[in-house]
Amino acid sequence: MTRSLHPLAWWIWAGSLAIAIARASSVLLAVVVVGVVAVVVAQKSENAPWAKSFAWALKIGIWVIAIRTITGMLIGTPIPGRTIFSLPIIPLPSWMAGIRIGGPVTLERLSLTFHEGILLACIIAVLGAAASLSSPHRLLRALPVMVYEFGVAVVIATSVLPELVVSFYRIREAQRLRGQNLRGIKSWKRIAMPLLEDSLSRSLELASAMDSRGYGFSRKRSRYRPEKWQISEYLICLIAITAIFVPIAAILAPLAALFIAPVQRESVTR
Amino acid sequence: MIVFSSVSLIYPNSTKTIIENLSFTVAEGELVLVMGATGAGKSSLLRLINGLVPHHTGGILAGDISVNGISTRKMKPGGLAHLIGIVGQNPLNGFVCDRVEEELAFGMEALNLPSDVMRKRVEEVLDLLSLAHLRNRTIATLSGGEQQRVAIGTALVMHPKVLVLDEPTSALDPVAAEEVLSIIHRLVHDLGLTVVISEHKLERVIQFADRIIHMKSDGYTEIGLPHEILKNSEIAPPLIHLARALDLSEMSLSVRDMRRETESIRRNLDATPRKNSSNLLTSETPELINVDTIALRHGNTIALKNVSLSVCQGEIVAIMGRNGAGKSSLLRSIAGILHPTHGRISVMGGDPSKLRGQARIKTIGFIPQEPSDLLFGQSVQAECEAADRDNGISLGLTFNLLSSLVPGIARSTHPRDLSEGQRLALALSVVLSSSPQILVLDEPTRGLDYSAKSSLITTLKILAAARCAVIIATHDVELVAEVATRVVFIAEGEIVADGPTVEVLLSSPAFAPQVAKIMAPAPWLTVKDVVDVLNRAR
Repeated sequence: MTRSLHPLAWWIWAGSLAIAIARASSVLLAVVVVGVVAVVVAQKSENAPWAKSFAWALKIGIWVIAIRTITGMLIGTPIPGRTIFSLPIIPLPSWMAGIRIGGPVTLERLSLTFHEGILLACIIAVLGAAASLSSPHRLLRALPVMVYEFGVAVVIATSVLPELVVSFYRIREAQRLRGQNLRGIKSWKRIAMPLLEDSLSRSLELASAMDSRGYGFSRKRSRYRPEKWQISEYLICLIAITAIFVPIAAILAPLAALFIAPVQRESVTR
Repeated sequence: MIVFSSVSLIYPNSTKTIIENLSFTVAEGELVLVMGATGAGKSSLLRLINGLVPHHTGGILAGDISVNGISTRKMKPGGLAHLIGIVGQNPLNGFVCDRVEEELAFGMEALNLPSDVMRKRVEEVLDLLSLAHLRNRTIATLSGGEQQRVAIGTALVMHPKVLVLDEPTSALDPVAAEEVLSIIHRLVHDLGLTVVISEHKLERVIQFADRIIHMKSDGYTEIGLPHEILKNSEIAPPLIHLARALDLSEMSLSVRDMRRETESIRRNLDATPRKNSSNLLTSETPELINVDTIALRHGNTIALKNVSLSVCQGEIVAIMGRNGAGKSSLLRSIAGILHPTHGRISVMGGDPSKLRGQARIKTIGFIPQEPSDLLFGQSVQAECEAADRDNGISLGLTFNLLSSLVPGIARSTHPRDLSEGQRLALALSVVLSSSPQILVLDEPTRGLDYSAKSSLITTLKILAAARCAVIIATHDVELVAEVATRVVFIAEGEIVADGPTVEVLLSSPAFAPQVAKIMAPAPWLTVKDVVDVLNRAR
């Protein structure tokens, strides 16, 4: 079995890359960095639910670009240049001078907002990669004990939520088989009642299980197999932090991660 | 090890005494089986041992319980964590972490054990329960039997002296159940662990039990050696029923002993297969369901491939197979919830996924794994009336149906307060009130006791006699032996066997019912089969 990188290392790595992208403010660099990061995710991520975070981050990124472009066209200070088309101007009170809704859309303004949108999307994608590469539970385990108790609560909340969704689908399916065309408020009652009861009894069961396993009985808490911080973690963080100051290193950091980071524990799928 | 001295228990807002004046002692290294009908208080008794009742649930407790000299009155469940390991009915609901190894360590971390001790114990338990190859797996991706083993592991890492298991095999297929039970048996013998276990499927555990606590529904409790208790008890595995039917003087509790006992009987009996004329299907029997070479994918996993199946009027088809073999996928495709990626399903000549509203409930009735998913009413009465209105039948018909299935359910009871068997009966009557042509049941026997099971069997037989088709997915071989006319065995999404119940069940030792194991090679599956043959011989 090979060990995987310390989850904090992945987050420092991704954080530094995000800062580097923001500082360099170059679309080309940002897109190339995300491309290389995507390779790292494909190579190193575990086969687990959270590994999908990167794909989700990419999807969110596309929405961000779209929303940023639209709002950028509608709202903002006028930038002079070649006009592509004009929107009607909505009059605003005099004290809001400098801000304008509508008006001529220039090529310069469009390219600026598009540029910003892409940078933002790339930053989200890089952070999504970190979430993909390290289990949120492992990250919590690496946190100091003070935060840990809070962390356990978060872990339970995050594990309960997907189960709630699963129960929701299960119950809706069952009600549909009872011949219900589930629309309107009345049908919601038919799902809400079993769902509430289901999740409540599940939480009670979890609470009693944790109670009988001694949770919260001892003031202090020890830690099983704490995550190790070794030379590869230092190397990856070092290169990533360099990238903040030397933009070109932003491409090198994920490449380095590709070679330095050990292959994550293989999870067998059935 | 465990001492109950005149314990009585009443839950708040309830008039029913769950346990009345119960005293017993469990010695170290004993395996005690708790049996009783659903709702008799088995779970309450188990949870009293580590103080979850009443510390966690509330309730009035009289008398005293002590484990290894510690009274549960003074100690909360957390303080007994190092002494008592408890595994609930549904282990998945009790897991906290996402990976096997971390889950095992969770309890020890809570007790602040040093890191090297934890490391050693985790390795020990991984080996003891043969979990080593699963250590890095995400728990949600494990099979039912594996999850149950992890749950037992989480208890064992604490080095407890007592292990309490609440229906550990109720959700497992026969093979996985055997695996879990043999591990428990080994723990008792190798480590001298004291085990208290509750189980409905007595045929699975009876041979391991040193003593039995029989909880009757009137609050009265009987404690004794297995053959003493089982001699007169209504709740008994097929093996005991067979011994009674054959008038054997000795009560044997294992198939091996029983075979010795019945050697002479077996030799003298005529072993020619019975003719089950009632089940023979002619070519005129109309076909209700036709599944034509379907395939189904969930993402990357193939749930079903190349499955063809035809079900006719009056048939009761049992779908069997390991956890995760594709039983539910097949049932849900037939019900029209899942759409096959290849092939075609026709139900009474139409596409089941196009059925809506009235047409649907008149064609297919579906009982999901959790019958309570169907129920939303605040009382049995409200539930039944909602069904009456949905089906456009006169008020009260559904309740009459329910009373004929299980008599004596009060109208004002909340569905959640019903026992497992009563809840299934309620869901069944809601579904059957629209008189569907096809009834599909997805593992209905989870948590059902023998009496609930026998009323289910009667209901299904009446339905089949009324020319309905019944498809039932289950792990319960004894139920299949009693009720099914045909068995379809699924493995890895493919049908590997499809034939009359006798043939399919007898072809694999793991899926053979107890009576068949005893009477082998004669092809008899149930006590009734044997009695019929005996009567013919006389």
